[in-house]
Parts: sequence; C-alpha cells; structure tokens
Amino acid sequence: MSCNSSVIRLCASSVGQAPQAPVHLMPCEIEHNGPAQVNQYFTATTKDQKQDKSVSFRGRGLKGQKISCPQGYTGLVLKEINKPGSDQEDRTVKVSSVFDKMTYWNLETPPNSDDTIVMAMDWPDLAEAIHAPVED
Amino acid sequence: FTAVLLAVRFYALCRLVSEIPEVCKTEDCCLGIDEAGRGPVLGPMVYGICFCPLSKKEELKDMKVADSKTLTEAERENLFEKLVEAKSYVGWALQILSPNTISTCMLRRTKYNLNALSHDTAIDLVQYALDSGVQLKEIYVDTVGPADKYEVKLSQRFPGIQVTVRPKADSLFPVVSAASICAKVARDRVVKGWNFAEDLGEVDTDYGSGYPNDPKTKAWLLKYLDPVFGYPQFVRFSWSTAQTLMDSKAVNVHWDDDEEDGEKAAQRQNNKSMLSYFSVSSGGNNQNATHQAHRFFTERRLKSLNTL
Repeated sequence: MSCNSSVIRLCASSVGQAPQAPVHLMPCEIEHNGPAQVNQYFTATTKDQKQDKSVSFRGRGLKGQKISCPQGYTGLVLKEINKPGSDQEDRTVKVSSVFDKMTYWNLETPPNSDDTIVMAMDWPDLAEAIHAPVED
Repeated sequence: FTAVLLAVRFYALCRLVSEIPEVCKTEDCCLGIDEAGRGPVLGPMVYGICFCPLSKKEELKDMKVADSKTLTEAERENLFEKLVEAKSYVGWALQILSPNTISTCMLRRTKYNLNALSHDTAIDLVQYALDSGVQLKEIYVDTVGPADKYEVKLSQRFPGIQVTVRPKADSLFPVVSAASICAKVARDRVVKGWNFAEDLGEVDTDYGSGYPNDPKTKAWLLKYLDPVFGYPQFVRFSWSTAQTLMDSKAVNVHWDDDEEDGEKAAQRQNNKSMLSYFSVSSGGNNQNATHQAHRFFTERRLKSLNTL
C-alpha cells in the first residue's frame, strides 16, 4: 500500500446548514450505496416498546435501541463532491447531514452493554484522560 | 369477526376464538386440527381447531362439511356461517401466523422450521381448548411431516387423549373438515383485507392465490420488489421463490452467519484465501502486521483513520 499523500478537505461551514438525519447501524452488509426507501419500509414497520425497538429486514428479526453520540461530539454524514481520478489528488467532502444519536440493530439479540458500539463510546472519555496534560 | 382480523397487522401472533359451548365442558368431545396457507409465498398461515361433543358427530356430518380444498369460496363461507350458528355445540379457535413471523422464525440463527412451528401452534391450540375446560377425548389431525412420529409426539404431550394423525384427515373426519373450513375462511379474509404496515400508498391487491406457481403471484412479486428492502412483510422471505427473485434483482445483503464459503466470501471478508499465498503480488506483504492494535480497540472495532 502506498503512502497516501493526498489531502482531504472538509467543508466545515456546511455543518451549520446540515439537517439532522436519522441514522441506522445495521448488523449486515448491504451492497448498496445510495438512496433507499427507509421511511416507507423500515421506519413504518419498526415497533417501539419503551426503549427497545424491533423490526425485520429481509425477513430477519432485528432488535435495536437508540444510542447517543458522546458528549461534545457530533456525528457527520459525509458526501464526496467530486471523486478524484487518482489517489494523488486532493479530495473534498461536504457534510450532508449531522446526527447526535443513532439507532443500532442486532440480529435477534436484544441490545446490551457488551455491544461493540456501546463499548466504543468508552473511548472519548478514555482518550481525554490519557491525553490530558499531567498535573503534578 | 372482520374487526378482530384487522388486529392481525399489529400482532405477530393473533388468536381468534369462538365462545366455548357449555356442553363441551360437560360431555366428552372430539377435536379436529387443520391448517390453511402452508404453501403460499404470500400472507399468513392459519391454524384451526374445531371441537364438539362426541354425541354430535353426526350433526356435524349432516352439515356436509368437507375438505376445504374441494369447496368453492362461497361454499366455505356458507359452511363457516353454519358452524357459527351451531355455537351451542361447536367451538373453534384459530391461530394466525403472520408471514413476518414465518420469515423470522425460519430465518433465525438457529433455524426453527415450518414443521416445528406448525406442531407448536397445534399444541398451543389444543392446550387452549383444555385450559378452557373442553373435555377432550379424541383428537384428529391432518399430517404435517411423517404421521406416525407426529402422532407419538401429540399422544405423549396429551396423555389420556386418543390422537389420530392421518394424511387427508380433512376429508376423512368431519371435525377436521370443519377446522379446515374455519382456517381457510380466516386465511382468505386476512389475505383479502391485508393491511400493509409499510407506507406504500395504494397497493395492487391482484396477487392471485399466493402460490409461487401462480402467474399473478409471480407478476406481483416482480412488481413489488424493492432493491434494498426486498419485500413488504406480506411476503414470506424464507420461501425460495422470494429468495431467488431477490438474489437476481435486489442488492446483496450479507450477514455474519451466512453460510457462504470459498474464495469469494474470504475475499469479501478481507481474509486471505489459501490460494492467495501462491500468487505473485501478495508475497511478503506483512508490513501491516507490525502494528497491531490493542485488544481494547479491536473489541470495539475502533480503527485509526488516515483515509476515507
């Protein structure tokens, strides 16, 4: 793998205008990159029981719950404006939407504290602790 | 009856029941079990039980109940009305297994097949009759899978009741015919009045019989295929007809428990295929191995990002 020397530019100004978008983290890989009828098929059939949500996707039962972004963090959905022709060229991405929470889904298993995404949220606190200046 | 059926959309499992005739609580009874809608790729499967006192077997026969498959829709509706009118000595109960329940059960990580689901549903319905005070002495069942095995299973589950499992029981025993009529009528009504939970606007209801070989059903399945979601929950995703159409016309979806193997799967999962060690380009490419993330990160699937 060659060392990547290109620069990725993020239009930070687009954060302010970006709308909030519902985001779902699915327990499967969908070979599709583009729009989908999420509201019509997925949101419309999602059942809420208190915090727990359930739905089915392609005939398989999913259980999910909402998870918030760590405090001080904002989730970004990025979109590349012009795909570069080579990996040497600089790239520009725009914030197409933002989110402060998302719904993550497990295949059949009810959400619990051992779920990867829940544990991943430990990192910001830990990072802050280990990177903070040391005081004597 | 119709009002209750509308509730099907909201519950994965729905049970519809008649009142229990008083005479069924005092006299020895027989009970028939049958199902409707086992084969179709669309709509629910309905399990039905029907019961009456042994002394009323002849009356039931005189109603000319027959295997629901040999009757027209009008005849079935008519006979169902007669059964409802005979409520002083005939009781029934129906369990509706929604297509979504069928899909998610059959596609579970640990497979729960249709026979097991059918057996469990039948057992639940018999237990319901017993719990309601019906004095059951004889049970007649149309077969699901091998008859003798199922007969043993049910006999052990309900000791003291004589169980008869027979192929074509719906044409041999009037009480099973009656159960088959109740089940078929309910299935037809549910399919006809299906309320799509999806937000699809006006849906074309010309889906034919729902059997995979019906040209109307096929045409409907082609028309309502969504490239990402596949189908509305009205369709049984676990049917090979639906799977085949999605494989060829919808985008691929991969789950961690997929049983795919070979080079393609390994490639997709970024694992090295055995064969890759023999190719020229990949030889000695282990620079990445020198920096391995701590378990804290791998367990959380956290990666440092240096490119998008």
